[in-house]
Amino acid sequence: MPPAPHAPHPRRLTVVLAQWCPHCVPLSVRHGRRLARTLGVPLRILDIDRRAQEKLADRLVRDHGDSSPDYLIPQVFLEWSDGEVQHLLTGFSERVPRTDRAWRDLFASDWLKATQGAAGR
Amino acid sequence: MTRRGAVPRLLQAALAAPGATCYRHCDRPIRTRGVRSRLPGVWQVRACPSGVVSVTSYMEWTRRDPTEEVRRQLRRWTVPSSLVRGRDLRLATRHGPELGRAAERMLAANRPKRPIRVVYWRVYPFRARDGSERRLFACFRRAHRSLVFFAAPPTTQANACPVCHRRSSTAGD
Repeated sequence: MPPAPHAPHPRRLTVVLAQWCPHCVPLSVRHGRRLARTLGVPLRILDIDRRAQEKLADRLVRDHGDSSPDYLIPQVFLEWSDGEVQHLLTGFSERVPRTDRAWRDLFASDWLKATQGAAGR
Repeated sequence: MTRRGAVPRLLQAALAAPGATCYRHCDRPIRTRGVRSRLPGVWQVRACPSGVVSVTSYMEWTRRDPTEEVRRQLRRWTVPSSLVRGRDLRLATRHGPELGRAAERMLAANRPKRPIRVVYWRVYPFRARDGSERRLFACFRRAHRSLVFFAAPPTTQANACPVCHRRSSTAGD
């Protein structure tokens, strides 16, 4: 059966981060770029230490992510054409290599295969 | 039959983060210890051999945010309880695709769909009123019914647990 002509597809990938965070830079910037390229969407970086970006980041995290008074970074979100915002990943507080493994597992996931299919429609 | 919110072993393994050494304290390997509570999820305390805590985490298979219950439980374990501050508790949601294929499929097959919620408690080194540095320690001795979190100078050699200390003082009276 052919896909529905108006089925939702990914529109933009956003990574909420800080420059001083080793889970974020360069690790999540590098993986974020790769994931955005894989999905054929633009990458948006929101730096919590830049006031204008901080407000957007805070709202995104509060409405769709893992919100806490001093929330964890990085947090990664995928925006869809129907307006849905999907929280994908939050950094692992334990160790940087664990956050790296989470990104690698995301690239190997069933979810990415299905989402690539949606992106190709 | 498992308790609602309990985390199966497969998911616990998928969330594991082995390795690491004690940061800015002794550089010795960190050990992860499980702790029981009335909550259905899994507690893990990551601490060096001296007891300096790197991070404490609680994970539960649930849609709700367990942060408030985690805070209450931590306050029961901590002397003084004011060491547990809301800003040191951070929530993380694990959906499945970032946990490896087996965990992803297990989470995807479950209905209704539930993620794993993890609450981290990380207390960074801080200064006491006299200006001296303090670190968060955990005492796992069986002298008390549950573990005890407390703050002490990073150079503390002997066990400075206030509960153990109180008991030994009482016994010596």
